[in-house]
Amino acid sequence: MSKVETILSQLKDIAANPKKAMDDFKAETGKGAVGIMPIYSPEEMVHAAGYLPMGIWGAQGKTISKARTYLPAFACSIMQQVMELQCEGAYDDLAAVVFSVPCDTLKCLSQKWKGTSPVIVFTHPQNRGLEAANQFLVTEYELVKKQLEAYLDVKITNAALERSIAIYNENRAVMREFVKVAADYPQVIDAVSRHAVFKARQFMLKEKHTALVKELIEEVKAMPVQPWDGKKVVVTGILLEPNELLDIFNEFKLAIVDDDLAQESRQIRVDVLDGEEGPLYRMAKAWQQMYGCSVATDTKKGRGKMLINKTIQTGADAVIVAMMKFCDPEEWDYPVMYREFEEKGIKNLMIEVDQEVSSFEQVKTRLQSFVEML
Amino acid sequence: MYTLGIDVGSASSKAVILKDGKDIVAAEVVQIGTGSTGPQRALEKVIETSGLKKEDISYTVATGYGRFAFKDADKQVSEISCHAKGIYFLVPTARTIIDIGGQDAKAIRLDNNGGIKQFFMNDKCAAGTGRFLEVMARVLETTLDKMAELDEQATDTAPISSTCTVFAESEVISQLSNGESRNNIIKGVHLSVASRACGLAYRGGLEKDVVMTGGVAQNAGVVRAVAGVLKTDVIVAPNPQTTGALGAALFAYEAAQKN
Ligand code: SF4
Repeated sequence: MSKVETILSQLKDIAANPKKAMDDFKAETGKGAVGIMPIYSPEEMVHAAGYLPMGIWGAQGKTISKARTYLPAFACSIMQQVMELQCEGAYDDLAAVVFSVPCDTLKCLSQKWKGTSPVIVFTHPQNRGLEAANQFLVTEYELVKKQLEAYLDVKITNAALERSIAIYNENRAVMREFVKVAADYPQVIDAVSRHAVFKARQFMLKEKHTALVKELIEEVKAMPVQPWDGKKVVVTGILLEPNELLDIFNEFKLAIVDDDLAQESRQIRVDVLDGEEGPLYRMAKAWQQMYGCSVATDTKKGRGKMLINKTIQTGADAVIVAMMKFCDPEEWDYPVMYREFEEKGIKNLMIEVDQEVSSFEQVKTRLQSFVEML
Repeated sequence: MYTLGIDVGSASSKAVILKDGKDIVAAEVVQIGTGSTGPQRALEKVIETSGLKKEDISYTVATGYGRFAFKDADKQVSEISCHAKGIYFLVPTARTIIDIGGQDAKAIRLDNNGGIKQFFMNDKCAAGTGRFLEVMARVLETTLDKMAELDEQATDTAPISSTCTVFAESEVISQLSNGESRNNIIKGVHLSVASRACGLAYRGGLEKDVVMTGGVAQNAGVVRAVAGVLKTDVIVAPNPQTTGALGAALFAYEAAQKN
């Protein structure tokens, strides 16, 4: 196995076995893990406490039954899965769960957590232009910090937080570089591998992830860039899973040259900037810098333009919108983006992401037709 | 040169043999689809009708839901591309295609050269498809081929929702038990299918000519309802069930020439 294959298979393993990643971490450090609900959380705090932050983004293919007691059929597919798993006790090993509530579904879910782990809920201010919004979020973060300290029985010092912020900023920068490398080498980093590199990030300490991804980038960049005889796309949405779906991208030679997925590039889009202010204030400010996301209010609706720019900059042939089933924030953004794509002549396709399904024939037809149309 | 297109659908199998990419030599439909003997039977039937031998076929393209399961093809092309190709060949003025098949509905927008500009498909639900009509025909104690005629005799349209087949079925049952006339309910069922399909067509931006294809286009009741909802004339493709297979045979001809 080449070095590249070894690193990729290591990351794929972690992405596919989060429970094992957590147990290994516990065995190694004697500390536990804290669940991080989508979409944005001050994960740096959990890291500074010495705990492993674990992303909670549903699961694929679980039949929804217990969750029906608490959620209507039209709640988004990912939260149906999260609820089902909660009811089954899948998250009960977590020392706590940090829960942001930027959409209605998350708001409801945060009030009826069925697991046994303590839940720490906080709110992002949506009137993001104001200085008062920063102050508000600092207060929210202070509450999160206090609760984390109580549940984990650790003191989160400013020095530890600064260190974690630096580690996270570096990881985000390395991942932004990885996105570019993956775009240049679709033969080496296919859609499944690309996703695994992002997904493993949720179940590892970021410094370890950074080290592996840096090595990967170095190895890949040492190879010659080959011409790509397939098509190139930019993908957007909450997430693009499972591997069976990404296999179809590979089968039809659709290279993902950039993304705006909440689970992937939105997580690495903005850094916590340096400055005179304290760490919590700077972390709060990062929320104001966030852009192009359906749960971060943007009165100018810049997401479509951002995607058009990404398409042009990467030389992509099209945008694929991966619509999380029944995600209202994403569905509200879609008509605005769609109109802009059509006006600018950007080819685009919407596919639905439903975590409950295990058959991908229809989306295969859509993707094949789309490739034939490009 | 003879080329073959086979459209392996969910509810039926269709095959077309084309001579030199322009003359339809034979077209056959077997009313049973993927996972059955249907595709093979359609193939045998079309060969028999054409008077040709299997060896005379230079190239075969499979399309439809079961395209990857059909092993005798040289290539697979999606049904969206095949319907677009077949329709543009038959009706070059077509700019919007509404295709309602056994288990899905699609709207395809064509540009002036027959290229696909955009397409939309219904989501995993039988509402607005041929399957929906089958379920309703059973509840209404009639058959698919009689529905258009009964629709013509309706005096009014009984409202039937278009969101879910199961709900719509119970609506039909309660309409029946309220004494609503069967013909009016059938007209309502057709309108329900039409609203679903037109919803897809609107998303792509409607442009004339509008052409309907797929098995359900044989039902004049649905065609009338579509024309009513869209407030425009609707052309029904000749032999609407076989336009996908025709498109596949056209792709086969192009591929054979490249070989
Ligand atoms: S943002 Fe969308 S996908 Fe995420 S929890 Fe809210 S509704 Fe569900």
